[in-house]
Amino acid sequence: MSTAMNFGSKTFKPRPPDKGSFPLDHFGECKAFKEKFMKCLRENNYDNSMCRLQSKDYLECRMDHQLMTKEPLEKLGFKDLMDPPPSQAGKDNKS
Amino acid sequence: MLLPLLLRPPRCLPQASVVLTRCVLTLRCGAPRGLRSQAKNFLWRWRPQRLHSRGRSRKTQSQEEEWRNRNKTALTYIAAAGVGMIGLAYAAVPLYRLYCQATGLGGTAVAGHDMEQVATMTPVKERVIKVTFNADTHASMQWNFRPQQTEIFVVPGETALAFYRAKNPTDKPIIGISTYNVVPFDAGQYFNKIQCFCFEEQRLNPHEEVDMPVFFYIDPEFDNDPRMARVDTITLSYTFFEAKEGQMLPLPGYSYS
Repeated sequence: MSTAMNFGSKTFKPRPPDKGSFPLDHFGECKAFKEKFMKCLRENNYDNSMCRLQSKDYLECRMDHQLMTKEPLEKLGFKDLMDPPPSQAGKDNKS
Repeated sequence: MLLPLLLRPPRCLPQASVVLTRCVLTLRCGAPRGLRSQAKNFLWRWRPQRLHSRGRSRKTQSQEEEWRNRNKTALTYIAAAGVGMIGLAYAAVPLYRLYCQATGLGGTAVAGHDMEQVATMTPVKERVIKVTFNADTHASMQWNFRPQQTEIFVVPGETALAFYRAKNPTDKPIIGISTYNVVPFDAGQYFNKIQCFCFEEQRLNPHEEVDMPVFFYIDPEFDNDPRMARVDTITLSYTFFEAKEGQMLPLPGYSYS
């Protein structure tokens, strides 16, 4: 929301998020995962690529506690972090 | 005595003209010859004039009809043009929207923003972009709102997570609503948020503190845009405003009791 008086030049148009808004985590159910993620960021000099596993864990926690609609992880861009489907039980059964 | 009658010729009274001719003919003495001949000439001139005018009125009638027809066709053309212009004005709205989408003028979304892209996009590992975070509140908003990291390094095509923290230090629940801003503006069209906490009312109970995540990615097309070649830093800024619950504007003449 720019309030500069630049009539005619391009203004910023905010767009709503693709999947809507995160419900607030009032009870701190996923706080532990968040702390892990923040710790990873601090250790890796705030490089997001190194901490994608932790961010995936955080989002999975949100999905488990009904703080986020369940989505297959590929749709969230975690295709490369997915465990191979057939034999391993556990993490990839989130869809 | 007859002079005024002669000078004012009778219009639609044939009897008067007959009377006049008779009077003129009976004038033998006194009246000069010139006057009698003048009167005769005058009366003779008067009668054929009337016949002549009837013929001319027929001609003007057809001419008038022609004029009327021409006026009618002109009016229909003008009316059709008017209606056509009104129709064009209504059609211009969707047409302009289509044109804007096709050419991307006026900042409308050009880059693809569909969810299937998230699943299939590949990260552009060579291009590292620093995303800095900024948090603001409106002056009357009493929350403590700040980002939990000042910056994060991402690459286009990779989804990223970032956190803000908000605390309500007061003794009453406060509802906030936020909006965001991305600088530089041109890079804003490549900045896609998958999920965040903006544009919806968020309620914080007294003395409550929550973590607010933002899940976003930068479109891989960012790397192909020549205008973005020098852009290394993108700043994401959120501003929280207070939304009052049950706020009603007082209408004059009504009493809410």
